[in-house]
Amino acid sequence: MNQIDTDALLEKIKAETGCQPEVYQDITDEDALCIPVENLEAVIGVLRKDFGCYHLSGITAQQRESQPGKIELIYHFWHGKGVSLLLRLPADDPKVASIIALLPGADFYEREAAEMYGITFTGREETPRLLLPDEWDQGPPFLKREASDG
Amino acid sequence: MDKISIPIGPHHPLLKEPLSMRIDIAGERVLGGTLRMGYVHRGIEKMTAQRTYVQDVHLIERICGICSHVHTTTFCLGVEKLLGIDVPPRAQYIRALMCELERVHSHLLWLGILSKHVGLETVFMHTWHDRELALDIMEGISGGRVSHAANQIGGVRFDLSPEQEVMVKENIGKLKAQVSGVLGVIENEPALRARTQGVAPVSADLIRDYCVVGPVARASGVDVDLRRDDPWPPYDQLDVNVITRPEGDAWARTLIRALETRESLRLCEVLLRQMPEGPVTVRAPRKVPEGEVVTRSEAPRGEVLYYLRSDGSDKPARLKVRTPTLAVLSLLPEQLSKIHVADIPVVLAGIDLCIACADR
Repeated sequence: MNQIDTDALLEKIKAETGCQPEVYQDITDEDALCIPVENLEAVIGVLRKDFGCYHLSGITAQQRESQPGKIELIYHFWHGKGVSLLLRLPADDPKVASIIALLPGADFYEREAAEMYGITFTGREETPRLLLPDEWDQGPPFLKREASDG
Repeated sequence: MDKISIPIGPHHPLLKEPLSMRIDIAGERVLGGTLRMGYVHRGIEKMTAQRTYVQDVHLIERICGICSHVHTTTFCLGVEKLLGIDVPPRAQYIRALMCELERVHSHLLWLGILSKHVGLETVFMHTWHDRELALDIMEGISGGRVSHAANQIGGVRFDLSPEQEVMVKENIGKLKAQVSGVLGVIENEPALRARTQGVAPVSADLIRDYCVVGPVARASGVDVDLRRDDPWPPYDQLDVNVITRPEGDAWARTLIRALETRESLRLCEVLLRQMPEGPVTVRAPRKVPEGEVVTRSEAPRGEVLYYLRSDGSDKPARLKVRTPTLAVLSLLPEQLSKIHVADIPVVLAGIDLCIACADR
């Protein structure tokens, strides 16, 4: 399996979507791009169409101490080697387009991030809860609401 | 014909772990289904951030009751990468040996469950009897049948003595003979073929769309195995035969796992033959430098992914675990559509569900 050339991917994304992704170098031995939230679908389209990268291994949601007021999503793709896409959403209204129309396999990953971190994935039908109990009323359990929240 | 919705689970004799399904049927045809999980969600990802890396190895081992070792291996590989530690070659080989033995016992367990669902009680008895040999090997090496506590950051906790090597070789020899018998049944037994061939076929395109991994993907002709395609040592020094089948049906999923069991036993012999001498661990600092890492392994059910972010302390800032069952489960509603009611157990078993893994 031919690994993706990051420079070629960057150029293609710039040409196809007009956005300016930043190369994110903090993930050891893995290519990662920080992309604007509104370009997610277009970038995944480029990954699939132009580079044959179809495998989404998962979606990580997290909050960084260095990025207060943001919730970060990392889409972990794999094509012979890991390729990650980073998005930073405002914590007070975390919204991003759902990609299940492009990649149905993202369904459970989106639902998990929605339940555990309160992220809204737009453009998909509302579904019953996947992991949390129906009676759970204490908000997203993994979301840190204040510094002392662990 | 009127549509009827049948609730199955979360507790049901068919299921060994809690999972809730609602299956829509019309007469004998299944129209589709929906899933509900979380009954064994323990919040392990969150709990790891409240424990040290050393403690987390033992917590992570409890994610799964079958493939516990591959979880700790994948976690340790990530931590070691951030620490910049080179694990001694002998430790890498012992890790891989345990991974392959785990695959053998996981696949044999699964073959037994499938056999029971299709009415082949004898094969069920044989495979579970044979699986005991794999468990005996792992117990003989580590002291634990399922939770082996083999890994620590920097290597493994125990060496393999010459007497243990002899025991491992003997039991692997016996297992090879037993697995050949099971393979013969899968390939030739008309009852098993009748219940599995052509049942719930999945195309390679659907596998790719649903990002399905492991034996289920390989049974549909998707030629991916991380032991070959994104290996960590010592898999980069091994010649792993990746087994695929074009059919994509329940029979192919059965055959793939039996063939993979045979391949894993071969790899165990290669690992034992090539195992280098030397130490089995190096000392690792308790605090892990700031950084992020993604590690992947080929677990018995397919790709397992760990994302780890360290803030420089002795506890992870964020650990994300994506287990293979979660990837394969998303396909289930699609697989359930257009099958017969009688095929539901075969389709469910074909996925090789591990709900504890999927829930975490």
